[in-house]
Amino acid sequence: MIYSIAWKNVWRNKKRSLVVIVAVTLGIISGVLLIGIMEGWIKQRLHDAVYNEVSHIQIHNNEFIKNEEIDLTVGNIDEITRSIDSLSEISGWVKRTKIIAMANTPWANAGVIVYGIDTEKERLVTEIYKEIVPDGGEYLDNQNTGDILISDKTAELLKLKQYIVTDSIIDELRKEKVPETVLIKLETLKDKRFRSPRDFREALRKEFSKKELDRFGLLITDEALDYRIRNKVQITISDKEGNPIQGIFRVCGIFKTTNTGFDQTSVFVNTGELAKLYGGDEILTHEIAILLNSIEDADTVREKLSRFSGDNSVRTWKEMAPDAAMMNDYMVMYYFIFIGIIMMALAFGIINTMLMAILERTKELGMLMAIGMNRRRIFNMIMLETIFLTVVGAVVGMISGWAIIEALGKTGIHFTGWGEGFEAIGFAARVYPVVTLEFFVFTTIMVIATAIISSVWPARKALKLNPVEALRTE
Amino acid sequence: MKVLELKNVNKIYNSSEVKVHAVNDVTLNFAEAEFAAIVGPSGSGKTTLLNLIGGLDMPTSGEIIIGGTNLSKLKSSQLIDFRLNNIGFVFQSYNLIPVLTAKENVEFIMTLQKWPVKERDERTLELLRAVGLGDRINSRPTKLSGGQQQRVAVARALASRPKFILADEPTANLDSKAATTLLEIMEKLNHESKITFIFSTHDPRVVKMAHRVITLEDGKVITDDIRELPA
Repeated sequence: MIYSIAWKNVWRNKKRSLVVIVAVTLGIISGVLLIGIMEGWIKQRLHDAVYNEVSHIQIHNNEFIKNEEIDLTVGNIDEITRSIDSLSEISGWVKRTKIIAMANTPWANAGVIVYGIDTEKERLVTEIYKEIVPDGGEYLDNQNTGDILISDKTAELLKLKQYIVTDSIIDELRKEKVPETVLIKLETLKDKRFRSPRDFREALRKEFSKKELDRFGLLITDEALDYRIRNKVQITISDKEGNPIQGIFRVCGIFKTTNTGFDQTSVFVNTGELAKLYGGDEILTHEIAILLNSIEDADTVREKLSRFSGDNSVRTWKEMAPDAAMMNDYMVMYYFIFIGIIMMALAFGIINTMLMAILERTKELGMLMAIGMNRRRIFNMIMLETIFLTVVGAVVGMISGWAIIEALGKTGIHFTGWGEGFEAIGFAARVYPVVTLEFFVFTTIMVIATAIISSVWPARKALKLNPVEALRTE
Repeated sequence: MKVLELKNVNKIYNSSEVKVHAVNDVTLNFAEAEFAAIVGPSGSGKTTLLNLIGGLDMPTSGEIIIGGTNLSKLKSSQLIDFRLNNIGFVFQSYNLIPVLTAKENVEFIMTLQKWPVKERDERTLELLRAVGLGDRINSRPTKLSGGQQQRVAVARALASRPKFILADEPTANLDSKAATTLLEIMEKLNHESKITFIFSTHDPRVVKMAHRVITLEDGKVITDDIRELPA
């Protein structure tokens, strides 16, 4: 019956209880959303760091890590590759040539790192082949000689990316239900070539109002974007003697990962093509990238490979992408901090509400004490009321939070305004929030703990009542 | 058989400026099945005396013995359990639990006493029928009149099978008709159950129906008029 009374007491002052329930609900939703976004970003960063950039493990010549010189190749390579093949934890591995170079087009130049890759094997280790932008050509093919795969950012730096409004683009925009008033204004930019996104944005800003830009700016920019696929890029490297040598490659495709820093320095060519350029008799291996079946095995596999490494350095993703590793390691701490802050705010709201409830029910509590309800039962009743009040809000908050995360997990949240900034540090502009079951369990425990702790003060206040005095109150 | 003994009971309130002798050397005995009224002007010490008898307050000196137990010897937690099992309370302003129905209000005290569900249900219905509310068992207090609420309070007080019931001005908030009905019911229950009823009251109707009238003035018992001994 104590449970029944406590539950019914929650609904005595519906308005007040609802305020607390809504506060708890909003608190939980914001917590779930915040943690979901963070978890989504961390998962995305970790995935992209491993599958686009550093894999689980990489092996380099010790000296190459300090000075990326052409002759500092991985030593003892036969024994190392034999050991790699013998390990069951490994799902795929590749050898790469990695040379610092200068890329030139007739309009611009940029410093890059040229990766000589075996495209078929590379598909087993990295997912760059999945990151080809729309209308951005194709991934490298072993059969096509003289191709180069560059990033969207490199294309921008080398002015291989342009914005041009044509009749067909205006027709496309019309199909996308862009109003005629906007399309008429766009006519003024027709057939003009803009070689950087900044120039194009500037031109749009002059023609359109802020409201029009907010609504259609991104769509127009996407449609007007045009990559100069099959354009020539000259790559200049130094041979073993330090003499500059040049080669011409044609852009076969444009990729774009979530890390602009990686993108702007990385270009890919077939390993054989690169060997032709530096004129060696053999293909140089500067880097071995290894993908494991489970990220948890990284340290164990490193230990095993280190035994045969000699003068080489075997490093895990944690050493090569310390930002992702740190965030992954500190995620639990973030949980505690965010949820702790939310719970603290909730606790004060709950305490205030329960103190009010006790003040209002002083006479009734006096009566309960008089007729023989002992302190333990009164304490339990107040505590149960607090728990019910909080748990109702928490359940509503959890369900709503879960539903929001489920929906946003599919569509993602696009941080339009901050996209460039995020991508500069390796985070996607569109984040897909994720919340684990562990988080829901942890938050439920925290909510109940907060309710119990918050109930102590009001319950103690109730216990301190003198029944005679309490019965006299009006 | 004595159910309640008060031996030289005093209650003195000491505030910083004044010393109030609220109950002054009161010695009284109550037997089983008494229907007694404590009367006196405001400030005469009626409610204080009732609080002392009910174990809600402790005397400055003297002894209160209920069924052989000296209340002064009980610890605070023991006193609460003692009240639960030995004393029924009826308050002037009914003091029912507003979120519970009439039936739940009555059975609440038996739940605290851990009665088996079946017996609890039977006794609740029996008591509510006895106070004339057999058809209102599922009504909440807000749906009942003052008289009906007080009858539920009487049923609740009787539910725990106490040694006696203390009623602090039970008719003070009731109209004449409701008060008469309540008093008749209480007298009938007193007669049938042999449970002692002790009232503090100003109400002449209560005084008229009481078998024993104790008059207090300045905390002292002035008269103790036993009109009719219970059968």
